[in-house]
Amino acid sequence: MKLIKMLLAAGCIWAGAALADPPKGYPFVNYDAGLKAARASGKPIFLYFGRYGCAWCDHTNKTTFSDAALKKLYTDNYELVYVDAESGKRLTLPSGERITEAELGVRLQAFATPLFVYLTPQGDKIVQIPGFKTVKDFRDYDRYVRGGHYRQKTLLEFLGSKS
Amino acid sequence: MRAAALLLVVLAGPAQAAWEWNAPLTVNSVQGAAVFPHIESANRQGVAVSGDTVGVVWEDNRDGSPQCYLAMKPAAADAFQPEVRLSRSDCFEPVVLALGEGRFVAAWEEAGTVHARVLPGGTALQLTQAGAAQATLAMRGDALYAAWAEQAGRFRRIVVARLALQADTLVVKTARPVEARAPSDEQGWPALAVAGDGSVSVAWEDRRSRHTVPMVSHSRDGKKFALPARLTDIESGSAPGGLGAGTGAMRPTLAAWGTQGVAAVWLDKRDFLSGYDVFAAFDSGTRRFGKNMRVQDSFGDNMAQWHALVVGDAGGGLVALWDDARDGTPDVWLSEWDGEGFGDDVAVPAAHGPGAQSDPVATLDAAGFLHVVWLDRDETTGTRVRYARAERR
Repeated sequence: MKLIKMLLAAGCIWAGAALADPPKGYPFVNYDAGLKAARASGKPIFLYFGRYGCAWCDHTNKTTFSDAALKKLYTDNYELVYVDAESGKRLTLPSGERITEAELGVRLQAFATPLFVYLTPQGDKIVQIPGFKTVKDFRDYDRYVRGGHYRQKTLLEFLGSKS
Repeated sequence: MRAAALLLVVLAGPAQAAWEWNAPLTVNSVQGAAVFPHIESANRQGVAVSGDTVGVVWEDNRDGSPQCYLAMKPAAADAFQPEVRLSRSDCFEPVVLALGEGRFVAAWEEAGTVHARVLPGGTALQLTQAGAAQATLAMRGDALYAAWAEQAGRFRRIVVARLALQADTLVVKTARPVEARAPSDEQGWPALAVAGDGSVSVAWEDRRSRHTVPMVSHSRDGKKFALPARLTDIESGSAPGGLGAGTGAMRPTLAAWGTQGVAAVWLDKRDFLSGYDVFAAFDSGTRRFGKNMRVQDSFGDNMAQWHALVVGDAGGGLVALWDDARDGTPDVWLSEWDGEGFGDDVAVPAAHGPGAQSDPVATLDAAGFLHVVWLDRDETTGTRVRYARAERR
């Protein structure tokens, strides 16, 4: 709670902060490259919808994505896509529509960053999860997605029933 | 119960009072489930009124690749004429500006550079040699300006050009970066306004502070620009622990307003738990923007706003528009400046209700009519570009 209050505090002094880009050491690619790779590999897509300068993204990168085992789990089993919430770079949706990365946020009805979206290899959305998450959270989401539980249960139902 | 009903009537009154709308029209003649029109552009400049003619620009992929189109109609006509294709190669983010007497100038990104053309007639001119995008236009009298984001090394920077019009041909007289030094991070999405005194204001997204900040500069002559200043009145800065660099903001828009003023509206995420909000700031003629204010009313709280813009006129009329889904699906909303603050949010009637209506662009014409264009999405039948005109009651 204290950390939340600290992060909510506005008007902090610029301190040469780290950038809220993709976490270091992960092979994130852009949307089009990730979708192409997923269609070829059959792996689901893990889409990190971040914002340049986003404190919560930075916090997630440092606290969660720094975990070596999580890094291996996601690198081995997902095509990793990073999308910049305010970027004008273009991407092509599975429908063939070409939009900007920022417009993808509109389509996802993104409220806040980071936003994590799991997609099938064809680019269909499985589930999207906003905000800071822990290593354990991402392990649970991985089981939900790669275990195929999303076909029968919502994420909340899955999390409520898992042992 | 009667008191409650009366209160609702009183509360609803101002939200319906200001504008009277004509029947909406469909602008694009080709629609389909796999045809995707877009009316996104720098400064959201997709509709203009020149004399008695309305012009609307957009991009869609009906021909198998993204191409830009212009459709026109006499103001009194009840249908748009078939659209004219502006581009030959992949085209994005077209804008249109009224030249007067039924003539327009359009600008767009094509094959990675910026092009412009006078319409009807005229031939397209490539405005940039370097890679460039996100073009916008502004004019007052015979002073015609364009701005775009141009590649300068690793990043793009904002360039402002003075254009000359010789019959139906455009000529670039000068084209200069707002800042001479190379950009230290990405700049983009410029917005231009020429105020009543002829001075040029340009706003843009700027990432030099390691997050996106709307910035602004001014020029008396369109050639030499003042040092950039922030449009936002909040500082950059990390959260404790050195996390991040500041809150988000994007897509600044500008409008000349009144005799000397310039108004700015953009999307701002300083309240980052409710998505982007619509914020505004004013330059009354001092060439300095003041305190920021939130535009949308409290019914838009806890709701992300998108695709915001501002339009103004010399008589002091000023209207901000955007879309949000407060009523369950995306609808187009507007709020008018009443001299002291932005009034209650009002839905554009034909762009409100079931389905998804979004991405507004607009203009106020010389007679005070408000012209609004938006996208009406239907995944089965395709997306329509829609147009409606309103007059004050």
